[in-house]
Amino acid sequence: MNHLLLLLPLLIPLYGAILCLFFWRLVRVQQYIGVAVQMGLLASNFMLLLYVNQTGIITTQLGSWPAPFGITLVADLFSSLMVLVSAVVGMAIYLFSIKGLDKARQTFGYYPVLLILQMGVAGACLTGDLFNLFVWFEVLLICSFVLIALGGSKPQLEGAIKYVTINFLASGFLLTGIGVVYGIVGTLNLAELAVLVRTPVAHPALITMAGMFFLIAFGIKSAIFPMFFWLPASYHTPPIAVSAFIAGLLTKVGMYALIRLFTLVFVLDQELTIPLFTVLAGFTMVIGVLGAASQNDFRKILSFHIVSQIGYMLMGLALFTPLALAGSIYFIIHNILVKTNLFLISGVVAHRRGSFALKKLGSVYLQHPVLSLLFFISAFSLAGIPPFSGFWGKFMLAKAGFEIDSFAIVFTSLAVSLITIFSMTKIWNEVFWKRKPDTDPMLDVMSEADQRVNRFLHVPVIFLVVFILFIGLYAEPVITMAQLAAEQLLNSELYINAVLKR
Amino acid sequence: MKTLILSVAIKLLIPVFIVFSLYTLFRGHNHPGGGFIGGLIGAIAFVFHTMTHGPQQTVDTFLKVNLYGYPRQPNQSRSLYLMRMMRVNVWRRRRKARQPNLNEKMIRLEPIYIIATGLLLAASSGVVGLMFGHPYMHAFWADFYIPILGKPGTPILFDIGVYLLVIGVVLKITFVMSEE
Repeated sequence: MNHLLLLLPLLIPLYGAILCLFFWRLVRVQQYIGVAVQMGLLASNFMLLLYVNQTGIITTQLGSWPAPFGITLVADLFSSLMVLVSAVVGMAIYLFSIKGLDKARQTFGYYPVLLILQMGVAGACLTGDLFNLFVWFEVLLICSFVLIALGGSKPQLEGAIKYVTINFLASGFLLTGIGVVYGIVGTLNLAELAVLVRTPVAHPALITMAGMFFLIAFGIKSAIFPMFFWLPASYHTPPIAVSAFIAGLLTKVGMYALIRLFTLVFVLDQELTIPLFTVLAGFTMVIGVLGAASQNDFRKILSFHIVSQIGYMLMGLALFTPLALAGSIYFIIHNILVKTNLFLISGVVAHRRGSFALKKLGSVYLQHPVLSLLFFISAFSLAGIPPFSGFWGKFMLAKAGFEIDSFAIVFTSLAVSLITIFSMTKIWNEVFWKRKPDTDPMLDVMSEADQRVNRFLHVPVIFLVVFILFIGLYAEPVITMAQLAAEQLLNSELYINAVLKR
Repeated sequence: MKTLILSVAIKLLIPVFIVFSLYTLFRGHNHPGGGFIGGLIGAIAFVFHTMTHGPQQTVDTFLKVNLYGYPRQPNQSRSLYLMRMMRVNVWRRRRKARQPNLNEKMIRLEPIYIIATGLLLAASSGVVGLMFGHPYMHAFWADFYIPILGKPGTPILFDIGVYLLVIGVVLKITFVMSEE
């Protein structure tokens, strides 16, 4: 049971991608395969979450090689939550790309690459081996490079080159860090690493130094303060389905790895790491949200907001209490759903208007009241207005901050929330509320076919909004699960015992 | 690049490359070698063929399979029939060269299908273990020993998958590069 449940999130997309390769010329068949795969993934990942919730951390040793020698796959609550959310987002993206992506891109292997990307996300979340983590991040990097460059328009290539150059640098740091850790400790299995760094023989300063390599590497990959500039420069270039998936998910996978490593392995020198994280989190929030305030493009505003939201996730790690980590986990889940949805909504608007620039957009509310409502829910969820999901994440983080008297970071986060509302209001005013500049909005009517496509594009958005409303209005089970996950993260013994079978 | 020396040499060398690559593939479990290296060596043959004759010729020679063969006579042995089929294929290829727009039903083995087959084999070699309640990629070994090749087991499926994958990828790259 363990073996199968842990492998399905990897095998289902892999087999889906292989099938898609066999039907390389038949895009229609690839679409059906994609949807079937997404349904299978949703089901299996939900089963995984239920099973982990019941029995605790589960592991499997690939190839039957025992733990410190072979590759281990581990699922605790945090990773299975990540995997489940990634499947939800994947479903939405698939539904969107069937109609929302141009035919030319679909014929050149969009579906297999997206499936492999999903496999990469699942792999990075489930692996229990440091080098394997690096490999999965390479899978992510390669697939997202292909997806960003697919189609080969000039801004896309420009964005792709920035993206890949900086991410190669990050991979270099990651590999160096892995090498240093292996040099110091002599193992790459996360559980054994966690045991060995806690022994008195280990040299804490050296291990912290190695940890800084990981901080830089995952900092670049998840766009933390001094290393975030590549993100707004590249995320707005590819077609909307691609940028929604990458923007929604990939930075959070980096964040996942950071939280995993800094709760499990690099926990010794907390006098150094916690202030560092606090400062980084504050700057990430502030700079991201200020950048967003200065932008005038739908997608660029959203891209800068990714950076600012990453700050909140880092804040949970910086406070380092169970409640704060639970807040971080809840916030990651909420943010993946909401951010993807906002990107998709910008895609629906752009499908109608052919532009992302705020100047050219307008009067969407007049023509698509439903879409406006959906945007309203997602945007205010992002800003953290009470009944919606963003509120609970921020509330948990703020409460955790007050509990340990770190007022500075809490007030920063609250102020940033205010500016987030300002940005969302700006989008609302410019895109939905104001009258569209040059033309009379009632005059430009869509053709019948366009209308059908537009209606179809609402489906994934509604699908995601249902989940956003669920984790907002019925937050208790999710928060409980996030708290359990945080406890598992802080109790490294659980993880170590599960993997090493002691 | 049409040179007589290379085109004659490659004709002789292709079987050598293929046999050596298979040898490398099968000894790979316990010695240097394996699917990746074997696949690269095997791909050299096709790359050289493409360099001398162009991608279209390589596809026509190696990657097209004729479906409609000549029916086997009841008193004809299978090996004789296969040899006859090969001759028919050569003859058809020549006729195709003389009349290029002759439209015959052929299956074209696209490199992408080779890649997919390789991936499928490699992924499925691990599933075998999963189906019997062991972890993924758990190895099953047979009890007997085949001379030269060694002991068969599920890991060889993985290696064969990698072999096909590498050949497919190299062929795809070569074809794309040489068409430009």
